[in-house]
Amino acid sequence: MSHGVEDGEVNMAAWLLGINNLKIQPFKLPPIGPHDVRVRVKAVGICGSDVHYLRTMGCAGYVAKEPLVIGHESAGIIEEVGSEVNHLVVGDKVALEPGVSCWHCNFCKEGRYNLCPDMKFFASAPFHGSLANQIVHPADLCFKLPDNVSLEEGAMCEPLSVAVHACRRANIGPETNVLIMGSGPIGLVTMLVARAFGAPKIVIVDVDDNRLSVAKKLCADEIVKVSTNIQDTAEEVVQINKAMGARVDVTFDCVGFNKTMSTALSATSAGGKVCLVGMGHNEMTIPITPVTAREIDIIGIFRYKNTWPLCLEFLRSGKIDVKPLITHRFGFSQKEVEEAFETSARGGNAIKVMFNL
Amino acid sequence: MGKGGMSHGVNEGEENMAAWLLGVNNLKIQPFKLPPIGPHDVRVRIKAVGICGSDVHYLKTMSCAGFIVKEPMVIGHECAGIIEETGSEVKHVVVGDRVALEPGISCWRCNLCKEGSYNLCPEMKFFATPPVHGSLANQVVHPADLCFKLPDNVSLEEGAMCEPLSVGVHACRRANIGPEKNVLIMGAGPIGLVTMLAARAFGAPRIVIVDVDDNRLSVAKKLGADEIVKVSINIQDTAEEVVQINKAMGTGVDVTFDCAGFNKTMSTALGATRAGGKVCLVGMGHSEMTVPLTPAAAREVDIIGIFRYKNTWPLCLEFLSSGKIDVKPLITHRFGFSQKEVEEAFETSAGGGNAIKVMFNL
Repeated sequence: MSHGVEDGEVNMAAWLLGINNLKIQPFKLPPIGPHDVRVRVKAVGICGSDVHYLRTMGCAGYVAKEPLVIGHESAGIIEEVGSEVNHLVVGDKVALEPGVSCWHCNFCKEGRYNLCPDMKFFASAPFHGSLANQIVHPADLCFKLPDNVSLEEGAMCEPLSVAVHACRRANIGPETNVLIMGSGPIGLVTMLVARAFGAPKIVIVDVDDNRLSVAKKLCADEIVKVSTNIQDTAEEVVQINKAMGARVDVTFDCVGFNKTMSTALSATSAGGKVCLVGMGHNEMTIPITPVTAREIDIIGIFRYKNTWPLCLEFLRSGKIDVKPLITHRFGFSQKEVEEAFETSARGGNAIKVMFNL
Repeated sequence: MGKGGMSHGVNEGEENMAAWLLGVNNLKIQPFKLPPIGPHDVRVRIKAVGICGSDVHYLKTMSCAGFIVKEPMVIGHECAGIIEETGSEVKHVVVGDRVALEPGISCWRCNLCKEGSYNLCPEMKFFATPPVHGSLANQVVHPADLCFKLPDNVSLEEGAMCEPLSVGVHACRRANIGPEKNVLIMGAGPIGLVTMLAARAFGAPRIVIVDVDDNRLSVAKKLGADEIVKVSINIQDTAEEVVQINKAMGTGVDVTFDCAGFNKTMSTALGATRAGGKVCLVGMGHSEMTVPLTPAAAREVDIIGIFRYKNTWPLCLEFLSSGKIDVKPLITHRFGFSQKEVEEAFETSAGGGNAIKVMFNL
């Protein structure tokens, strides 16, 4: 049952109906519980996982067996609050953390709620996403935007959170030199966050000149062009170490191929860490000697936990500027939704494709 | 240690002998000239030396883990002995002391050394890692600070066992083993077994160990494994074995030590470990592996590397002295220091099977 919907308004959403089949259709809202809010969604970014669902009806082991509302990087305006909600009021602009954990299991209670086996996450089958006019969501997962942070920047908190979680797990600070494999959306947010955490030197690599020049404009200290050829690994490791000119303490692999992991493991200094960020290839063939003979640890990253407040503070203070990452904007119509996904899927000079609703 | 020069303080008429690796499958007991004893060194009469898998690898291939033997080299690094001479600045040990030897001499000038990760020192000089000579010899000269006095109730053989035990201790520290960490161990060979003993000593409440070999599994059970699971070498069996392992554990696997180091053992380890847990790669496995890395990373299962050890001898000796760890059952075969016995000992060690630790008594 839809409660509190504007008179006569049918709530619409972008539904994934099948492979390459997105349709804007009605989306019935659930009732608002005492701890929930109803949000008018205003900005939604497209993620690589959304594109993957569109192309394959699956992502990272999840399979969409029924129609699913897509989208999870979102921000909007509170239009209704549940009876027990104290920290938000109607009219507040908020960024939304997508995942609803159970808060009963050990993972949740020990603070690693991102690993909750009963996680309900926007647009991770079978849970509906947020590319919709309105959604209902727990109030504690809605974070009020500072006055100088826009709704689009609010939506960017989601990919930014992946980077914040990665930088925390890898202990980035003023003494950790950082190497980043891949200058796509995830590599770029990781770079911005590493800088915000104080990384003194950042080298970023990619196969694409345009993406590298974006990285240089943003804040990379050095950029290195690499190939897709695994035979080039040894030589590229030399180039990378030269570009860094110092220890490589942490490498973020934001691509996830045999070659990028192999390069990462070989380029990282003894006692350092390689962090696998985002969704890479399932199975990889990697050199193990760096792990066993040089104590390189491989750290896994899955989504995030407790990152929204820090992201909003970084954006408010200007320590991080995500606006240059938003390269394409679309409205919420059938035609534009299709075009937006095409643009995002194409990659190239498209970094973050954003819907304005 | 390769400095050459005159032998000082050797018993009159005694020629110091050592087991030299001359080529593939070619070990010869030959004279070994000792370097002069510096002010911070001691001269040790070696009494017990264990054989390690790496020693066997050098014998069979003249190489190990990227190191290549280019010139004849004295083999052996797991050792203990008796102090026979001390340098002028040595205070904490005296002639007659029984000591266990930590093999590796770090530089103490680089950042890694100064930050306490001296096991990763790029200038490390380690017994029997080319080009540095090892310690399967009548006598060696060694820095005094790397010689640790044995408690009265710890034998020289147990002293020599401190070296492999140190690998287990370092792994348990890096993996943060404690009273709330349930442990899975891949492989019930010498390294798997010392890791199991160390994990128990660190308080691990439940330990499951797996192997392909029934005999090794029964040794593990006798030594204190809570559950043993027999596994195959077939990678297709991985999914089913992960189920069996989790059933045997009965609860989440917090830390898995892969003490075998194959595609299959790593894949099993990554699959069996709970979200947020750790897989620790211990000892020398294959240099390249094909593993399901992304699914593991997506469950925040971290992979921790282990290289040798640092600051482990005092704790090992305390574990042995208190009886918290008993390594004696791991010493399955003993040999003396003659040409024939050296050859036989290495054959026995290389043969695996029911040989866990092969020990020389000199």
